Amino acid sequence: MSTSTIEGQSDGVTQCEHLLRAGNTNCAGCGMSLGLLWLGEALDGHMPLVVIPACCGIVTAGAFPTTSYSAPVAASTFASSPAVATGLSAVAEMNQEDNPVICWAGDGGTYDIGIATLSAAAERNENIIYICYDNEIYGNTGGQRSSATPEGVFTTTSPAGKSERKKDIMAIMAAHRIPYAATLSIAHRDDFLRKLRTARDKQGFRFLLIHSPCPTGWKSEPEESVELVRHAVDCGLFPLYEVHDGRRYRVTIRPDPPTPEAVDKYVSRQRRFRHGMLDTDKLIRQIEDQWRYLDVMAREFSADDAIR
Amino acid sequence: MARKLVTGNFAAGHALALAGEANRRARGCAGGAYPITPQTEIIEYLRRFEFSKGRIVPVESEHSAMAVCMGASLGGARTFTASSSNGLAYMAENVFAAGFYRLPIVMVAVNRTLGPPWNIWVDQGDSLALRDAAWLQLYTDSHQDLVDTILLAFRVAEDPRVMLPTMVAMDGFVTSHTQMVVDLPEQEQVDAFLSTGCDVPHRLNVNRPTTVGGLTWPKETEHHRREIQDAMENVPAVLEEAINEFEGVFGRRPDGAIAAEHTEDAETVLVACNTMARTLRGVVAERRTAGTKIGMIKSKLFRPFPRQAFRDALSGVKRVGVLDRNHSPGSGGIFWPEIATSLSDQSDTIVQDYLVGLGGGDVTPEALDEIVEDLLQRECSGDPVWKEVAA
Amino acid sequence: MIEMTIYGRGGQGGVTLAKLIANAYFLEGKHVQAFGVYAAERSGAPLQAYVRIDDVEITNHNQIRTPDHVIVLDRTLTTPCVLTGHKPDGWVILNSPEPPDAFAELFPGRQVATIDATTIAVTNGLGTRTVPIVNTTMLGAVGRVLGLTLDDVTGALAEVNFGGGNITAATRAFETVRAERLAGAVAAPATPPKAGKIMGLLDDEVGGHPRIHTGDWTTRQPHRQQLAPPCNNGCPAGNDVRGFVEAMAKGDHNEALRILLETSPLPGVCGRVCPAPCMDACNRQEFDESINIRELERFAADEGHPHVAIRGVGEPHRWRDETVAVVGSGPAGLSAAYHLARLAYRVTLLERDSELGGVMRTGIPAYRLPRDVLDREIKFIVDHGIEVKTGTSVDQEELLRLTHSFSAVFVGTGLQHLRSVDLGNGSAEAGDKTVEQGLAFLDRIRVDPESLTGLHVIVIGGGNTAMDAARSARRLGAKVEVVYRRTREQMPAIREEIEEAVEEGIVLRELVSPVRLRHDGVGPLLTCVRMRLGEPDDSGRPRPEQETSEDAYFDMRCDRVLLALGQSSDLSILPEGSEVRNQESLLGLTGAPVFAGGDFAANDGTVTAAIGSGRSTAWHIHRTLSGEDLFPPPAEAVAGSDVLHTHVFSHAPRAESKTLSMKERRQSFTEVRSGLSAADNSVEAVAEAGRCFSCGVCTVCDRCMDYCPEGILLRSGGGYEVDFEYCKGCGICAAECPRGVIYMADL
Repeated sequence: MSTSTIEGQSDGVTQCEHLLRAGNTNCAGCGMSLGLLWLGEALDGHMPLVVIPACCGIVTAGAFPTTSYSAPVAASTFASSPAVATGLSAVAEMNQEDNPVICWAGDGGTYDIGIATLSAAAERNENIIYICYDNEIYGNTGGQRSSATPEGVFTTTSPAGKSERKKDIMAIMAAHRIPYAATLSIAHRDDFLRKLRTARDKQGFRFLLIHSPCPTGWKSEPEESVELVRHAVDCGLFPLYEVHDGRRYRVTIRPDPPTPEAVDKYVSRQRRFRHGMLDTDKLIRQIEDQWRYLDVMAREFSADDAIR
Repeated sequence: MARKLVTGNFAAGHALALAGEANRRARGCAGGAYPITPQTEIIEYLRRFEFSKGRIVPVESEHSAMAVCMGASLGGARTFTASSSNGLAYMAENVFAAGFYRLPIVMVAVNRTLGPPWNIWVDQGDSLALRDAAWLQLYTDSHQDLVDTILLAFRVAEDPRVMLPTMVAMDGFVTSHTQMVVDLPEQEQVDAFLSTGCDVPHRLNVNRPTTVGGLTWPKETEHHRREIQDAMENVPAVLEEAINEFEGVFGRRPDGAIAAEHTEDAETVLVACNTMARTLRGVVAERRTAGTKIGMIKSKLFRPFPRQAFRDALSGVKRVGVLDRNHSPGSGGIFWPEIATSLSDQSDTIVQDYLVGLGGGDVTPEALDEIVEDLLQRECSGDPVWKEVAA
Repeated sequence: MIEMTIYGRGGQGGVTLAKLIANAYFLEGKHVQAFGVYAAERSGAPLQAYVRIDDVEITNHNQIRTPDHVIVLDRTLTTPCVLTGHKPDGWVILNSPEPPDAFAELFPGRQVATIDATTIAVTNGLGTRTVPIVNTTMLGAVGRVLGLTLDDVTGALAEVNFGGGNITAATRAFETVRAERLAGAVAAPATPPKAGKIMGLLDDEVGGHPRIHTGDWTTRQPHRQQLAPPCNNGCPAGNDVRGFVEAMAKGDHNEALRILLETSPLPGVCGRVCPAPCMDACNRQEFDESINIRELERFAADEGHPHVAIRGVGEPHRWRDETVAVVGSGPAGLSAAYHLARLAYRVTLLERDSELGGVMRTGIPAYRLPRDVLDREIKFIVDHGIEVKTGTSVDQEELLRLTHSFSAVFVGTGLQHLRSVDLGNGSAEAGDKTVEQGLAFLDRIRVDPESLTGLHVIVIGGGNTAMDAARSARRLGAKVEVVYRRTREQMPAIREEIEEAVEEGIVLRELVSPVRLRHDGVGPLLTCVRMRLGEPDDSGRPRPEQETSEDAYFDMRCDRVLLALGQSSDLSILPEGSEVRNQESLLGLTGAPVFAGGDFAANDGTVTAAIGSGRSTAWHIHRTLSGEDLFPPPAEAVAGSDVLHTHVFSHAPRAESKTLSMKERRQSFTEVRSGLSAADNSVEAVAEAGRCFSCGVCTVCDRCMDYCPEGILLRSGGGYEVDFEYCKGCGICAAECPRGVIYMADL
């Protein structure tokens, strides 16, 4: 890790400090903070241009005129980050600049209000790395449901527990046949960095989905942030996989088949899931169903050829 | 320079494209393209045009069309798009964003009645709904005015003293789809006129990371709003400079903030914009011939509102009639209070509003003459008067 | 109008407190107003909330700048800053366990009230352990100080459906809040910092770090500790087990060996014959299987080069004046001699036999401990400049003499007294080998292997000597049965030895005790009695009791009986009335001090314990002679499995030594185990070492650094440093530290 400041740029590669600087306003134990640090690490000094729509990620930039980011950032309107990034990317390309253009958006901006813009940019295969840090809630506004909120979760706008399932955004993105889509967990650093680097080294539209713990919204202990999302992977709820060209699948971390105990390890320490009110059997069936789908795809449409 | 018989949309597309191409020696140009009647031909033209350094992105909505412009502008490119009516309404959030980010985007607004109900014909309610978005607004009355104003718009918007987005409006169908003869500029002329490449001071810069548009406290926000006001106040002078240079390059002089006719000795003056102002010109000329001390003003620059120009032009005038092809429900025409406020130190002047041609009906010379007659009879101003449109 | 400012942190419920206070006054019929500062604040970030109370309608909607009262929810926010604009006649109400006068310096002349709201809130289960929610508790204190009734307070809570612990906590605070005006002159309130230049949107200078001191948000911080790994704790030799395994994991056999040689000069021996209590203590057992520490030690000893590992061996030494005699060259004597020589004492090693090694040479068969390994390590020890006198018996008289010619004497003669049993067969004739001590048998066949082909040998006992004798007899061709009065479960022999004995075809006769041996004309016949397990005896093992049934007695045909019933030390070397205490001294002597070590001093029965005893006795001697204390400070707490975070590790099977084929094992004294493979750059051993959790000891694995969400945990020296200016106290570094090295401590 280098902590030298950014002085003088040449050929797009600079020694850079952390992408997210210390002294930002993210909550203690925020998953997004780690995601941003690792993103900076994976870029290996390639200074990105970052577009952030309304979300905690832009609030943590801090108040004008300062910035918590060591890369230039454009705050876009809520639904617009992929379109703003399209503009930036187009200009960068016509000026032969290879700084990666990155969208850093929450689940609200991705799954909900921004999905049309996201879909369009993906369809045009814009040269953008789109990263959704999915904390499964509107965190910036104090914790409301989004279409990324899992079934059964209590939020201020699902006071009886959410009755709908979480949207399968990865299937949606794969359906666009973009060059690369992957799920990432901050509990699996090597896998996380590898996928970021894979995305970095490709061209076209790349979509990365980070399962990002939110102690405030999940009503969990900050110190358990990493552990919780690890349990989410372990119990099969958050599969780690990648999709090449929207067609070729590969599972990168394979957990054991789900058990009530494994699921319990994940849900029991988050007060957003109310104890005793979650239908664990149903959840396990859904997890198994998801894995059946992934297994068929990974077997019938293996990414191994594509990677070779 | 080539004299051509073209539609307004063709003329607008041509002007935008040449301006974009003119930036090929700087950071290029970009824009978003999304169709809506009656604007569609403009973006078709732009998508056809072969830019040597530019990209028109076929987006999925007006909202994204403006977002692409914002991104490209933050990347330092010359940016432009076009829209109309509900497209402008849908785009609105990003129109405001572009204004408050101070990105010199140029947008052609083809005026069309906002729906519902479904109505594709001209009125100015769509662009005027965006009057507080920190954009310059210019209303054009002819194909030539349109072409020239688009080119001026880039000059003014990108001027460091202004650095604000600019909207150039024309009438839907009446201008956009009507063929008229126009002097279309050549690329070399546009290159000369726009020889200073476009860039923005807050371009995303990897050497000096900033967050553009992040959280800003009330104190700073207030300061930034005042900066925008200051920039707006610079516009008349910058526009005048631009027109002077335009004349040097193109050999003709486009109208400025306002264009006054016969106002020097006039007791009665009518104010109108877009093609309605051209119709009015004929009516006023006939009344002049008949000995009436009447004049007119073509109102072109709406934001910033050229208060001083109106004050100067209407000094000592007894009656002012404002023709508004737009309507703010519960108030009246939208130009009317702007003009009335400009004349607040002339307490004797009657400023009467006429709502005319709403929903796109023809505004005939006869109808305008009836308005003139009404105005000449007035001893005091009253509520806005609805003038029914011709069938 | 009364105005109040509440200073708290995001998540503590400061805004809710404002609303609760307003509610209490609203119930009294007052006009009230309550609101917070809304901005981009996050959990833990300092924030303010405001309350206005008046008899008439309140028309001012701005933030309060000159509060009558200030309420501070967090100890870390209790600074003079809270007095900004405060009116001297108002109250300063603090969340603090201290009495008001503890704040005399901070808030002189002010009216101060204190309440330990954090403790009360936590006791009543309000909030989480990271962020206790103290607002309802503070309401009780505020209400009392400002002259509200308890009914007002509980009424305000009831109004918003706050019940249970909130009511109890508020009531408790109402009853226990302490308030007084402090002595001293009122100090001028702090002046707010001057605002800087307001930057334009397009200014060139836009940018720069916000540098919010987020370290102020937290109430706890990470700290590092070192714990004792259970393997180290469990090693009788005192080896830094974890340390040498870590070196192995890096592929550095020489470094591993160097670490071992710091404490034990016989790693090749221990790596073969140690019962490895370290492996029994290994936390990895709960995860999958313990680390194969014994094989790793052997690997380090066999593959490392001691003369590379330890510099200076055999080089000219600046000897001390003091001399030490070491009596006995078993593991304790060798260990003591080695450590004393390394401390530059002139050591004379006295051995009764013609060769060094003691029981390691005479009692442990070569198939477990090849002679070349033993010879190699003894040579390494002797090479430290030790004078060796073999064939030298030391009796009581000689010992007294030694105390007059040496500065100190170490006695490590082991267990010379062999336990026996009377089988009623009378005294044996010379040369009669029908009944023989196991150790004598092992020593005899070592020099002169005798064929036992076709003979039936019964071994009596369950310890390592019994197994060694049985397996040796088997190798000489005998059919072997082991008779033991308890069950296999209670046998003191090393597990693996028993397992291997059974594998080799030795029959274990459990719950059987010999009674007498007779000849019936055909040959020797051993009469035995069946046993059963009774209540535990002093050793904690079940006491064997004789069966009383009629068929309890039975005969076993045999040709030889080998006794392996245990040994004890022969104290006859010491003067009458002597006593061994703490390895340190013997009574009844007049010359130089005499120290005892190894099995002679404390019968632990293992080579490893003897090595450890030899070293610590050497340190005792050193302390006595030089005054220097080499004993380490009291050991740290042992790192139990509860401090570990094993999610970091993946399951991996233990690497095992290769063993000889059964056929070879039955026929030869070739070493059974050949150790871990050294092929492919020792990949097997390195991988096995890599399984180590390194319990309680930082390996600089960087996980804390990699997982710090603030990026402020950086490498520093051999460890890490946290920038507390920005540490938000999330605790992820501690939660992700696999080894329990990082822990969170309250500020």
